[in-house]
Amino acid sequence: MKGLTLRLCHLYPELMNIYGDRGNVIALERRCAWRGIRVEVSRLTLGDPLDPGDFDLFFIGGGQDREQMLVCEDISAEKGAALRQAVEEGAALLSICGGYQLLGRSFLTWTGELLPGIGLFDVETVGGDTRFIGNVAVRCTLEGAEGTLVGFENHSGRTRLGPGCRPLGQVIFGHGNNGEDGTEGCVYRNAIGTYLHGSLLPKNPRLADWLILRALRRRHDLEGLPPLDDSLEEAAHRAALSLIRRDSGLLWRAIRGSGR
Amino acid sequence: MPGAAAAADPYNRPMRTRLVAAVAAGKAATALSRRLGLGAGSNFPGRVVLRLYPRALEDMASRLERGCVLVTGTNGKTTTSNLLASMLREAGLRPVHNRVGANLITGITAALAQSSDLRGEPRGDIGLFEVDEATLPAAVRRLRPRMVIVTNLFRDQLDRYGELETLAGKMDGALRELEPGSVVLLNADDPLVASLGKDSPASIRYYGIESAEAAEGVLRHAADSKHCRVCGAPLAFTAHFFGHMGKYSCSRCGTARPFPHFSATRVELRGTEGTSVTVSTPSWRASLSLPIPGLYNVHNLLAALGGALLLGLGREEVERGVRGYVTAFGRGERIPLEGRDIFLVLSKNPTGFNEVIRTVRGEGKDLVVLAALNDRIADGRDVSWIWDVDFEELAPLPRVLVAFDTARRMKYAGMDTARIEVRGDLREALRAALAHAREGETVFALTTYTATLELRRILTRMGAAPGLWEGGSS
Repeated sequence: MKGLTLRLCHLYPELMNIYGDRGNVIALERRCAWRGIRVEVSRLTLGDPLDPGDFDLFFIGGGQDREQMLVCEDISAEKGAALRQAVEEGAALLSICGGYQLLGRSFLTWTGELLPGIGLFDVETVGGDTRFIGNVAVRCTLEGAEGTLVGFENHSGRTRLGPGCRPLGQVIFGHGNNGEDGTEGCVYRNAIGTYLHGSLLPKNPRLADWLILRALRRRHDLEGLPPLDDSLEEAAHRAALSLIRRDSGLLWRAIRGSGR
Repeated sequence: MPGAAAAADPYNRPMRTRLVAAVAAGKAATALSRRLGLGAGSNFPGRVVLRLYPRALEDMASRLERGCVLVTGTNGKTTTSNLLASMLREAGLRPVHNRVGANLITGITAALAQSSDLRGEPRGDIGLFEVDEATLPAAVRRLRPRMVIVTNLFRDQLDRYGELETLAGKMDGALRELEPGSVVLLNADDPLVASLGKDSPASIRYYGIESAEAAEGVLRHAADSKHCRVCGAPLAFTAHFFGHMGKYSCSRCGTARPFPHFSATRVELRGTEGTSVTVSTPSWRASLSLPIPGLYNVHNLLAALGGALLLGLGREEVERGVRGYVTAFGRGERIPLEGRDIFLVLSKNPTGFNEVIRTVRGEGKDLVVLAALNDRIADGRDVSWIWDVDFEELAPLPRVLVAFDTARRMKYAGMDTARIEVRGDLREALRAALAHAREGETVFALTTYTATLELRRILTRMGAAPGLWEGGSS
């Protein structure tokens, strides 16, 4: 893998970082470094210009309400069009929670404000009066990254997918996109939107490698990535799954108990 | 019938009877809770009291001759109230104080019941209560405090509290309900805390660090409040202490850090040994030797000192209080065990952890570190915040790191996995860390809240540490 370079763009790192979303960038950097792939991380924020040809992989995390408003204004200007173009040209992208919402068509807040999205994903989000908080397990249906995903969700937005994109997976436990249709996240070309914090990628190394491979393929002809020793990561993944099973067991018992 | 007599009884004896019964039941419940090992954070005794007599808290609090002081904020509540309690005792007062971790309404109720005699009269004259940030509105309404101290607001356990802005709004609402004549003491270095209380009838005082050498060059990514609460523009910092603590002003609307009434004008950090601080108040200056490490504890000292002076204490009482201070449980305790020292520091959020790492960094390399995280509910269930901690700075320090639940984070922090040992059990982890340490060496134990409690229990069982209830943490 020597001689390969991955150009990673971390969008609004100081504004959109909640629940350890930064761990995703750490995971991408390390997993490349362990394979001898050079990573150049650029951190772009409010007012910085974005050239769609400059990057192979984009990351945007979640944020608090005030931060999300500031970013919404900035990203709806030039950056949004550049991001859409980059994804059309094959760049990989991961967006979490608030970042995912901003990349959709629109976000109608609980208080009735309509925030425009950049329309990269064919999804619409409506704010709810309650928050979905807790551990999540998802059966990921993404080609090349099939298996379970584990994470932690905390959002009041209900996101619904249009025909222009497909879900990242089906919810096994937790709420996912909207708590109703059983879907979680969305995928369009090599771009992923999801509600999973956690941090997501250190606990789900397969998805990290999926993104790295797609990003590298933008400029390199590549079959696959050499495997890494993921025993610690897999142990964390299993631990999260068993925690979720325990929770769902408790839930099941509570339901049965109250039914008596 | 006792019910029929109630209206005519000028001494309201049935109310008193209910209080007496509730206090007695609370004491029994506390004894039971300790016997069952439910721990200091148990809600059960307080619930029993309030079930028997819903107004027990208001009733007991109103019997405190000198009223109540509330200490709230994300970090530093325990250390601040312990320091303040130590100063109050030097002034001959008898503070009633809730124990570590019992900072919800039920915990305060239990503490008051426990320190009352069987007639329901408190065996103290001033209430000094740590209050969970989200509990502040209820605590203000029920306790009618004469003073509220706010230490800082960090992103901590967001899944329980909601986001910081919302929390600050709720706290503002609580401060609005204070009575005129009461005092709010705020940390000037925390932009969000300093913005509180603008429409409170209470008088507002500030404390902060004025020493330039305490500042760090860069604002860390774990910083939480980087925007002006008034207008939303980014804040400009001329000094960073840690997290989002610093000297700041808003370039757009001119909102600036208030000038502190109580300040540290010189700070010399001496690693895990402690800190030398020169403090300045409106009427005097003094050099104090603080036996606990880290810049964050300088803030705690200033909060306690400001509180003490605003309660009318003098310089001697403050100085004696600092000298007589006994380290709070898990806040930088050194515990000797088998010819080694265990240095026990509790961290429960990114900024807390970063500060602990900064303190440990002063101890050089080749360290034996025990790192334990767990995600029980008292830690805030979501542990994703470990990715906001600068473990990258810790990675080069340990000769060996024994990890309980922290291994993966350390691997991604760039630590050689050959130097990481994973243990699934905290007792085993402690054993392994002790085995790695040489005679006379220190094991640095960095733990989250419930892991600290568990470690402390293990140490007590090994005979190394006094039991939680006998410890100097009252």
